[in-house]
Amino acid sequence: MSSFLQATLYGLLQGGLLALIAAGFSLVWGVMNIVNLAHGSFVILGAYVAWKLQSLTGVDPFLGMFASALALFVLGYLVQRYVINLVVNAPIFVTLLLTFGLDLLLVQGMNIVFSADYRSIQTSYASANFGAGGVRLPYGRLFAFLVAVAVTLVLVAVVNRTRVGLSITATGMDRGAARLMGIRARHVYALTFGIAAALAGMAGAMVGTVGTFQPADAARYTLLSFVIAVLGGLGNMYGAMAGGLVIGLVEAWGGQYLPGTWVNALAFLVLVLVLIFRPSGLVGKAYYAARVEV
Amino acid sequence: MQTNRTAVLGIGAALSLGLALSGCGAKVASSNAGSGSGGSAAVPDTLTVGASMSLTGKLAREGALTKEGYSACQDVVNAKGGIPVAGKKVKLNIQYQDDTSQPDTAAQLVDQFNDKGVKVILSSYGSASTEAQAAVVERNGQLMLDSAGADNKIFTKGYKRTFAVLSPATEYASSIIKAIGELAKPRPKTIAFLSADDGFSKTVTTGAVAEAKKEGFTVIPPEFFPNGASDVSSSLTKIRSQHPDVIIGSVHLVEGIAIVKQAKELGVTPSGGIGETVAPPTPDFAKTLGPLAEGVLGSSQWTPQVKGQDAYFGTAQDYANLIKSKFGHAPDYHDAEASAACLAIVLAAEKAGSTDVNKLRDAVAALDTQSFFGRIKFDASGQNIYKPMSVIQIQHGASVDVWPAADAAAKLVWPGTGK
Amino acid sequence: MTTQSTAPGRVLGTNPAALRTAFARRWGPWLLGLLIVGGAFALQSQIYVGQERTVSTIFMFVALAQAWNLIGGFAGYACFGQVVFFGLGGYTTAVLMAHTHVGFWVSLVVSALLATAFGALIGLPLLRLKGHYFAIATLGVAEGMREVVINVPSLTGGGAGITVPTVGNQATTAYLGNNGFYVLFLLIAAGSVAISGLVSRSKFGFALRAVNQDEDAAGAVGVNTTRTKVLTFALSGFVTGLVGATYAFQQVTIFPERLFDVNITVLMVIMVVIGGSGTVLGPVLGAVGLQFVSEYLRQHYTNVHIFLLGLIIIVGVVLLPQGVVPYVRDAVRTREFSLLANVRRYRL
Repeated sequence: MSSFLQATLYGLLQGGLLALIAAGFSLVWGVMNIVNLAHGSFVILGAYVAWKLQSLTGVDPFLGMFASALALFVLGYLVQRYVINLVVNAPIFVTLLLTFGLDLLLVQGMNIVFSADYRSIQTSYASANFGAGGVRLPYGRLFAFLVAVAVTLVLVAVVNRTRVGLSITATGMDRGAARLMGIRARHVYALTFGIAAALAGMAGAMVGTVGTFQPADAARYTLLSFVIAVLGGLGNMYGAMAGGLVIGLVEAWGGQYLPGTWVNALAFLVLVLVLIFRPSGLVGKAYYAARVEV
Repeated sequence: MQTNRTAVLGIGAALSLGLALSGCGAKVASSNAGSGSGGSAAVPDTLTVGASMSLTGKLAREGALTKEGYSACQDVVNAKGGIPVAGKKVKLNIQYQDDTSQPDTAAQLVDQFNDKGVKVILSSYGSASTEAQAAVVERNGQLMLDSAGADNKIFTKGYKRTFAVLSPATEYASSIIKAIGELAKPRPKTIAFLSADDGFSKTVTTGAVAEAKKEGFTVIPPEFFPNGASDVSSSLTKIRSQHPDVIIGSVHLVEGIAIVKQAKELGVTPSGGIGETVAPPTPDFAKTLGPLAEGVLGSSQWTPQVKGQDAYFGTAQDYANLIKSKFGHAPDYHDAEASAACLAIVLAAEKAGSTDVNKLRDAVAALDTQSFFGRIKFDASGQNIYKPMSVIQIQHGASVDVWPAADAAAKLVWPGTGK
Repeated sequence: MTTQSTAPGRVLGTNPAALRTAFARRWGPWLLGLLIVGGAFALQSQIYVGQERTVSTIFMFVALAQAWNLIGGFAGYACFGQVVFFGLGGYTTAVLMAHTHVGFWVSLVVSALLATAFGALIGLPLLRLKGHYFAIATLGVAEGMREVVINVPSLTGGGAGITVPTVGNQATTAYLGNNGFYVLFLLIAAGSVAISGLVSRSKFGFALRAVNQDEDAAGAVGVNTTRTKVLTFALSGFVTGLVGATYAFQQVTIFPERLFDVNITVLMVIMVVIGGSGTVLGPVLGAVGLQFVSEYLRQHYTNVHIFLLGLIIIVGVVLLPQGVVPYVRDAVRTREFSLLANVRRYRL
């Protein structure tokens, strides 16, 4: 029984972190219909920012994550404003190709600047745990989980209640109409991409604190974000959270009760089944599933 | 009309690209034709060696260490004026190419080196790439010195042109078991095995489980997780309820770090601690884990305490100093095995008095020499028969040699024996 | 094809110039294609044995890109798990040759047919999904299949890989060598382009384009959309499976991580998009161009080659967002060759 509880708890914590990783990816996709293949490298870049900051000034990564967010916001804003916006009206999948190029550039760029050494942001508390009996709760992952939940709630509040958020949603639903209403689409797009990159940067700081990272890990986080975003569904800011928690739990339980590495096959089976029976994802809105391309 | 013209334009472009490709290929080949070893009796000024490296991709970290080892060898040899071959000093010239950590690319690069007349190859990092390369080397009549492909599978195929300086995979974790069996007091009872699911790690695990049974330990069946996983919590949770005295991980760096980190997070505390292959001797391990790394056992292809010396690198301790001054970090066995593979070529060229690939192959096969890496002599399958595996332990943030006892730099710190 | 064969004469009457043009338009591309294949054969005698392997990798990607183009370009269904057919084909061949000692040529056919059947099978439920949802579902299938292959080591060797017997009395078919694989990959590539050309000009191809542009409307005018899509997916699986099987024999030892590598799918997509998706020539140009550039960069700028490749892709995409072939087609028609004007057309 305690193994089951432990697996469940750990799966939830892991799921929260996954949700934070995928949140920005889901936002960009939902609003601009861009599948950002460079998302994983944003995550890793965020980890490097927090790591560098800690090794230079000793700043705790849970504060350093705001620096990561800021740095990535600026990068994301500029990339969208001056590069991706240039091809927004092009045929399908061009943005995919563009972000693929960006990913190659960033990953080898990080490889050159930071080397491929495995890094980790060390804290005195991240691996410590508390709990009773057979169930342990590690502090690092708990904090990361709380950050993920807080960020999701803030994101929902921003998107649903502020002018900026409403203009993001409006542009996502109908860019032409939004422009007629006086919304500066170029700016809103850049803003959205910047926010998404900032979320990735924060997630990166968490990833670096609870685990290790190197440039080549970027691809894995992109793939995970892809899966989680679709599983949760687009057009709902809780989508990434739902997708992340489901993947986290499935992996934890599957790892516990299935032999070998069948658990990975199970995770993808769940994904395919969800898509077949509920194409708009767990909590997504049907509009985004029906929309093929802008 | 447009369709047709587009087609003509496009096909024209395709043709010119094709021509450019062939032109480029021919150019590369001709400019390098002279510098290869060739088959002529005259000894050339340089011995060109091809090295396909994992400079990018998943294995970039290990690839970078291997490259350090190769380049250290080139520098040391050339600083001495070169290799004395039949009364002439031959410079060593290692050419690097990036295989992006993919076996198919690594194999393709061996073919490309062959085109340029580069017959001597230093292997890429990892068993998968090395295995792919060995097949091509055999077909092309090249010669490969393997510095990092340890899976025993490579040596069961009857290849005559691949020689490995390192110990085979089966030795990696069983050496840790032997060390525990010999040194640990009180003697632990149950041992749990965690393993990555790639070929190399599985071979390691199979070898270690057999050794543990032979030593009379109770063995908890291995738990597998994906190669490269940074989350091994499920496997740890599974074995936790069985309360093993020791956990042995057949892993690479990422999974090795994850096991130690997550064992702490999950409160998995085996009374005898954790032993892992590959990861602990790497500088990143202690650096990344900090105090958590303390006491972890690891197996190493080489340590600065290894006995023996050679004319190029001196003793193992000299080699350690060389790496420290050149690259600014404590030597890693990945550096050492790469340098040793390169050294084997150098010593064979000296012996053969020629840089012809067939004579070099025969000289490598007949090699029996002392070196900073210990004694080097290959058996018929191409494995280094005298190569023992050392066991290290992380003590005070550094990796120190604890087994075999004769080479040990420090005593094994075992929970229960006191410090 | 049959509906087209009489069309030019009937429409254009007896004007000899028009007939010549029609003839050139009809047969010109095929002749040029033959010329290129002939040129590739001629090239073979001019290059070194190892270069043959490098060039056959280019042919391999031409075929893969063309296969993806069928489903992703013509039908507009972006398959992100195309590599599943590659892996399935490769593993079928490896398992058959290693365990049952069937010869390579039989294995090749079986592998391709199995990939075809698998395409039809997963196509039925998955092709109901649209856009990125189809993409991610197929990605899930490919990733899942890799895990299955890893978890049945008795059959597939698991993560340790499987080796096709090529030496001694275990070998059922003599290893083809770089020479042989050059020819085989060249023929497969040429075949894939021919299939794409046939599809493009056939009634089936028009149905596909209709599905791509507006599936509901296509259904309304009598296109059996499900059949069209599933057949295309199966055909695309056939070509990819064929390539995978050949690749497995060429590599001798194969590993699940590589055979189901998502990067192979990504490369297919990118080659098609660079060249121009939904065109016959685009994927060829994309595959040749990208492979050539990346190979050149690797050999000459080893330490920064991926960085440079990323930069080139970004600049290329910004300048030619619609792909090479559509750009050239439009530029020739409108006499507007300026790249800046092209950029202006697609920016926000």
